[in-house]
Amino acid sequence: MRYDSITEAIGNTPLVRIDPAVHGLRHIDLYAKLEMLNPFGSVKDRPAWNMARPLLEGAAEQGDTVVELSSGNTAKALALLAGMHGLRFKSVTNRMRVPEIKELLLLLGAEIEELPGQSECLDPTDTDDPLTRFHQVLSEPGSTYLHTDQYFNPRNTDAHAAGTGPEIIKDLDGRAPDWFIACVGTAGSSTGVARVLREHDPETRVLGLVAHKSDFIPGIRTIDEVHQVGLFDPATYDTIESVTSDEAIDGMLTLIRRCGLLTGPTGGAAYHGAVRHLRPLDGELAEAAQRRTAVFIVCDRTESYLSYVRRRRPELLGRSRPKHSAAALTDAEIRAGATVIGIEDARRWIGDAEPRPLVVDLRGPHAYAALHIEGSVNIVDELFDELVRGGLPFSKAQPVLLACPVGEKSARYAAVLSRMGHPDVRSLAGGIVAWRDAGAPLVRE
Amino acid sequence: MRVPLYLQPRLEAPLTSLLANRPFLHSLVDALGSPLNVLVPERIAENAERFLAVYRKHHLSGRVYFAHKANRSSALVRRLAAADPVGVGVDVASLGELRHALGCGVTPDRIMATGPKDAEFLWLAARVGATVNLDSRGELEQLAELVRKHALPRVDVLLRFAEFESAAGSQGVSGVRVLSRRSRFGTPADEVSELLSAVERHGDAVVLTGVAYHLDTTGLPEKARALERCVMLLDECRARGLAPRAVDIGGGFGVGYVADADQWEHWTTALSEAVLGTGPALTWRGHGYGLRNEGGTVRGSAALYPAHRPTAGPGYLDELLSLPAPSLARPSATLLLEHLYDLYAEPGRALVDQCGLSLARVLDVRRTGHDSGDYLVRLGMNAGDVSLEEHGVVVDPVLLPRTGVAEESGEDPVGVYLVGNLCLEADLITRRKVFLPRLPRTGDVLAFANTAGYAMDFHAHHAQRQPVARTVAVVRDGASWGWCLDEDYWPITRPGGALS
Repeated sequence: MRYDSITEAIGNTPLVRIDPAVHGLRHIDLYAKLEMLNPFGSVKDRPAWNMARPLLEGAAEQGDTVVELSSGNTAKALALLAGMHGLRFKSVTNRMRVPEIKELLLLLGAEIEELPGQSECLDPTDTDDPLTRFHQVLSEPGSTYLHTDQYFNPRNTDAHAAGTGPEIIKDLDGRAPDWFIACVGTAGSSTGVARVLREHDPETRVLGLVAHKSDFIPGIRTIDEVHQVGLFDPATYDTIESVTSDEAIDGMLTLIRRCGLLTGPTGGAAYHGAVRHLRPLDGELAEAAQRRTAVFIVCDRTESYLSYVRRRRPELLGRSRPKHSAAALTDAEIRAGATVIGIEDARRWIGDAEPRPLVVDLRGPHAYAALHIEGSVNIVDELFDELVRGGLPFSKAQPVLLACPVGEKSARYAAVLSRMGHPDVRSLAGGIVAWRDAGAPLVRE
Repeated sequence: MRVPLYLQPRLEAPLTSLLANRPFLHSLVDALGSPLNVLVPERIAENAERFLAVYRKHHLSGRVYFAHKANRSSALVRRLAAADPVGVGVDVASLGELRHALGCGVTPDRIMATGPKDAEFLWLAARVGATVNLDSRGELEQLAELVRKHALPRVDVLLRFAEFESAAGSQGVSGVRVLSRRSRFGTPADEVSELLSAVERHGDAVVLTGVAYHLDTTGLPEKARALERCVMLLDECRARGLAPRAVDIGGGFGVGYVADADQWEHWTTALSEAVLGTGPALTWRGHGYGLRNEGGTVRGSAALYPAHRPTAGPGYLDELLSLPAPSLARPSATLLLEHLYDLYAEPGRALVDQCGLSLARVLDVRRTGHDSGDYLVRLGMNAGDVSLEEHGVVVDPVLLPRTGVAEESGEDPVGVYLVGNLCLEADLITRRKVFLPRLPRTGDVLAFANTAGYAMDFHAHHAQRQPVARTVAVVRDGASWGWCLDEDYWPITRPGGALS
């Protein structure tokens, strides 16, 4: 395989059979269409390229900015395509809820605009919701935007009608599957693939999966949100069912751990929804001699969703507890272990003791820079926490006074350091707040 | 469609026990007429305490200011006057509210003057020594001139800023711009330098004690960004030798009106389907609450208050304070604490959560037309008396039958339109079909729960000479309830005058 451009590697993704021992369906062969193996990592590579391709040359001449309402994979693909053509890319979104994707987009050079939240005090005179405003700006004469408009652009659907759908038929030896299962985001893949499969075999059943309404699965819309998508046509689907984020993660784990498919939660949702829908149908097929087939789409990859998993299933990413942990101490242990010193005593100690105690300010650097005890050093608490896990960060010959805003964190660390064998570490009672309230001097450098 | 599409109100004590006492509520309406507003002053003090508990959890000092505009009641403000003077104050947005708060016993050191201000309002605030939350440089100049001209003491002022997004963008810290709705209030944050120079020039007339923002959004990231910018602005003040120490984060902490998430989700889905024409009509003349059908696609955004919320009020404040600041990365509370700043907040709606009911008598029940199954229920109130629709709040009233029990046998839930007592086609109390456990009868009372925030009498008027609601304060009296007129409530006595 030799290509002149990475865009030539878009499409022709593998169709992989899921081991029946995993899904337990006895009369249905279940296949995964691995769209995550597209070069930019998702099914969106196809529509992004198909929508942008005819416009990129003209846009490059005018120096336009490519713009799309996208919170994820379409933005990623478009950002890369824009970059290849020397164009800027801007993503406008109110759904950028996965931090890795946001950071990845920034790395790719994208600009991100996040739309305002819902209004708290309803203003009935406010007719221009942020999206309407966005479209007004795009359609202004002289606008320098190339808007790919994935939710309304027929070239989104066409990418799948020309690519994804025919590839499935080819890999099934010229037959359409009996069931096609897709998560509904822009509705582009489900609509395009369904059109081709049905033209080939009108009996093909299409299952659309949406996210449970109060839930969030990246890349999938809820039942209300699909109604706002121009490409969405209810007639495309024989059935629409919803999946929860929990179920999506379950499905994802099965595909990762038992099938070797490094999918994201959307693929997990498709797998879970497919098996849940097919299981009773499989039972009814007991008498039929013929085997049936079903295909679902694995949209993208795992790596971008670790924080999504961490938030919902922290136990899946569990770490063992460090040896010296300030967080593990009980209040009683802190009271027993920490030497606490009042403001006046602390001032005397700092002024008169030999050697002079090292004052450690545990606050953030910005706060420290604004005002601090003269001569103190700043080790922000998060960093201090890392330091003490490894061992004592100070010589035992060096007395230490720890200070935080109200004397709570400093007491905790004083107790930990004492346990670790430091002979003279004290915590400033009431912290920098008490220091200020007592009229003791704070400096700004 | 799932019938009935209830949107049952979230009810907590004391509204639960008050609503259970039907004879008491009926006797109030019989005596004082329909509509009638009922307030529970005790609950506002409990709500303030809940907010202060969030402050304490984060080790923050500062004050919770009740945004008086949410409700004009005397009972509520007097009850707050009797609450913790260090932690609780009142935010007034007009001369009338300032006079009222002073008359209710709120001392000037606990009063903050915000909003659009005229000369009289500014003068009285300065005269008594309230804090003035300044909206613009023009207002600062006006205040300083008043102070000098009338030889008033120096006035504590906060500077309210707005438009944090351009200021943050110009720093080039990150490629993410969090957009905000434009506000009429506050000075753009990138004009801080000129504004501070003006504060310094008027140092003989004003003392800068803090900076403020108010954003009309439920979005936490926008608020976290504004809060962080305020910490930076205070830093700039310190660098100039000024010594302010409070960040005022305004209000907008929200209230959950609908108890059940499923009901809210089913209803909002049904609304989309009704707009598309794929489901039955849910609203009077197909009103879409801002949604419209464009060629089979739903466009527009729903002009609805997010009535079901997993977190609101103090819980929302806690979330905001726990959210990491966008560039300094410390949680907002930590940021305030480490910089030694006090926190001011101005909840209006959230502070009167569960504090009040609006009651209306059922006057008439009939069908809309011979070929329609819809019922019209006419109430002894109008859309101005309980302006839920005006604020986009959709929630069911509670049916308080005149006789018998609420769930009488053989009667089914029913969807009705609630119409008002004005001779106007537009006078609907709700534009949505409201489902009730049974068809109301003349003489029943409908109780709109949790209306003390903005809904109770915000738009009440004397048009067409219909009676405007009286307001009563109710207090626990052993196992029963006592009541007095709102203007007669004092937190130190029981109704009737005995010291409590």
